[in-house]
Amino acid sequence: MDLLDIRNLTIEMDGPHGRVRVLDKVSLQLKEGEVHSLVGESGSGKSLLAKAVIGVLNPLWDVTADRLWWNGKDLLAMTPKQRRAITGRDMAMIFQDPLAYLDPNSTVAEQITEAIPAGDVTGTFMHRRIDRKTRVAQLLHRVGIRDHDAIMQSYPYELSEGVAQKVSIAIAIAHRPKLLIADEPTTAMEPSTKDQIQRLLGKLAVSQNMSVLLITQDVASILPATQRVSLLYCGQMMEHGDTETILNRPAHPYTDAMIKMSLQAHAELDPKSKLPSLPGAVPTLRHMPIGCRLGPRCPYAQKQCVKAPLVRHREEQSYYCHFPLNEPES
Amino acid sequence: MTRYLMTRLFYFFLALLVLSVVTFALNWLFPGDPLTNMSGIREGQTAYEAALTSRSFDSTIIQQYLNYLEHIVRLDWGLSLSTGTGVWQDAATYLVVSAELLLLSFLVAVVVGMPLGMLAANYFRHNIDKFILTSAMTGYSIPVFWLAQLLILLFAVQIEWLPITGQINPLYAIDSVTGSVIIDILLSDSQYKLAALQDATLHLILPVLTLSSLPSMLLLRITRNQTIEVLQKPYVKAARARGLSQQRLLFRHALPNVLQDVLPQMTFIFGLMMANLVIVEHIFNWPGAGAWLLKAIIERDYPIIQMVLFTLMALILVLNLLVEVYRGWRFPMTREERYGGY
Ligand SMILES: Nc1ncnc2c1ncn2[C@@H]1O[C@H](COP(=O)(O)OP(=O)(O)OP(=O)(O)O)[C@@H](O)[C@H]1O
Ligand code: SF4
Ligand SMILES: [Mg+2]
Repeated sequence: MDLLDIRNLTIEMDGPHGRVRVLDKVSLQLKEGEVHSLVGESGSGKSLLAKAVIGVLNPLWDVTADRLWWNGKDLLAMTPKQRRAITGRDMAMIFQDPLAYLDPNSTVAEQITEAIPAGDVTGTFMHRRIDRKTRVAQLLHRVGIRDHDAIMQSYPYELSEGVAQKVSIAIAIAHRPKLLIADEPTTAMEPSTKDQIQRLLGKLAVSQNMSVLLITQDVASILPATQRVSLLYCGQMMEHGDTETILNRPAHPYTDAMIKMSLQAHAELDPKSKLPSLPGAVPTLRHMPIGCRLGPRCPYAQKQCVKAPLVRHREEQSYYCHFPLNEPES
Repeated sequence: MTRYLMTRLFYFFLALLVLSVVTFALNWLFPGDPLTNMSGIREGQTAYEAALTSRSFDSTIIQQYLNYLEHIVRLDWGLSLSTGTGVWQDAATYLVVSAELLLLSFLVAVVVGMPLGMLAANYFRHNIDKFILTSAMTGYSIPVFWLAQLLILLFAVQIEWLPITGQINPLYAIDSVTGSVIIDILLSDSQYKLAALQDATLHLILPVLTLSSLPSMLLLRITRNQTIEVLQKPYVKAARARGLSQQRLLFRHALPNVLQDVLPQMTFIFGLMMANLVIVEHIFNWPGAGAWLLKAIIERDYPIIQMVLFTLMALILVLNLLVEVYRGWRFPMTREERYGGY
């Protein structure tokens, strides 16, 4: 059974220009212990998907799904209280802008302490106090903060973005969740810390049998330990599958373009070579193309593409496209 | 923090100084002889000549002001024009009487307004919220003098539960020592202490209720709106997703952040109470500084007017200073906002 099973998740909100569908029938499955990368350009709805799972979306938005299951239990059918009990115990999320998600008037120590499960510390009052303090220090060490004494007494406004991100990772892993959602966790960090955090996330996934849903903007920054990749574009799922297959034989034109773009960014380029990026720009929410939303930018688009493609499967991958690439010779 | 403290103190003393300049200037703005207005000594009295020199009226205006300041620091506010007794000597009990009423009312306002505001915010858009808000709006739009009459009519005249005016039934023969009835009763050796205490409390109910109605409704509204805003902040949502209980969210995460912005408003609300103090003390025949001020205004007793105005204003400044210092200490972020650190 999948740990997280999302089928046809749709989010609609009333914007200033009418109703917009920011997530359009998105499906995603995640297995226990799996490191899964969700890739998509800015504005594609990655954070919304993550927030829908955690349950912190604006209550005025319409969230519907054929399935939003956690461990076989339907999250949408629960009362808010039941749902919070489960997400609070089993899931954790590292948000994209960590400072907004830290209480400005609590110290780092207070906020990490609060996330440590009550059952973890036992003994007399003084015992528990000391125990909690050492645990907070340990957690800070694990996310690579060495001067933990100073950081513990700090308020969020005193932290740099990178340190704040590490603190929120410490909060997130304090209760050893089954699933950790990391929303672009390393964007605000310098390369050395980036490496460190990525290794940490990979290590945690293995040592605690924790699933990780890592959100990134490009295929180049997915975790080395990633087993599966999903690609999101304009609120529609494009393709998912195991990392090997996706990177070597993408079926979807969008995946293909993303891989080529990232190769480009990382290779020494002949200055005259043409960028193999997608033409055009990401459509705005007001003017979403009907059918496959990649249509206007897709070099392979045909008339048929105004009808949304249904999911298709090819061995280790699933994709949503009428005219897939890299089809095996038959 | 040191720098923050120094700056706050600096502004506090600056404000006091400005206040003293204003009251000093009043002596010229009031009709009549500035020296008489200031010292309470009339022309023709034997002490007048001496006062002319002791108040530096033979010298420059700057010298006069400095001299005035020196008198204030020594708490020498001159003599009352109507009774001829020292203003500060009389003032002490009046001020304590008012302080008792003010503090009790403020306490009631905080204890009623803030929890109700948080309760309403917690049930934002539900019936509980609507009910609380509507009642608050009603209470908020009734003028104080009218509310006082209404309460007197209802509780004192119609159902006769509460006494109409005064601090305590004079038959208890409690000597006014400090001015605060409660403290006076506790200090006295009357054998009817408990009964006296009960009587004094009954006398306190209506004035306190009247005086605290506006501030408690104001606090309720401010607290409610602020709490609603804070409850929608990302960090509260994240904490909620972490499975924290609603109580913990409200008290550990919302309350401090709400308080950070409500605290400065409290000084303002306290200032509003001062204005209503005069009305309430007059209606309930309360022997406090407000009623005394009103009497002094009617009798044109300028030394008293100056002194009461200055003291009430200074009280607001002191409260403001305390609030700022507490806020800077408890919410270090506010220091950062203002001075970029320390
Ligand atoms: N609070 C909101 N109100 C209105 N629209 C929103 C809100 N949050 C997100 N959106 C819209 O939903 C779309 C998806 O947003 P989302 O934050 O999920 O993007 P993202 O994929 O996380 O992008 P990024 O990489 O920049 O974080 C965006 O077009 C955005 O404009
Ligand atoms: S469905 Fe059509 S428009 Fe969409 S990706 Fe495939 S070929 Fe391109
Ligand atoms: Mg995002």
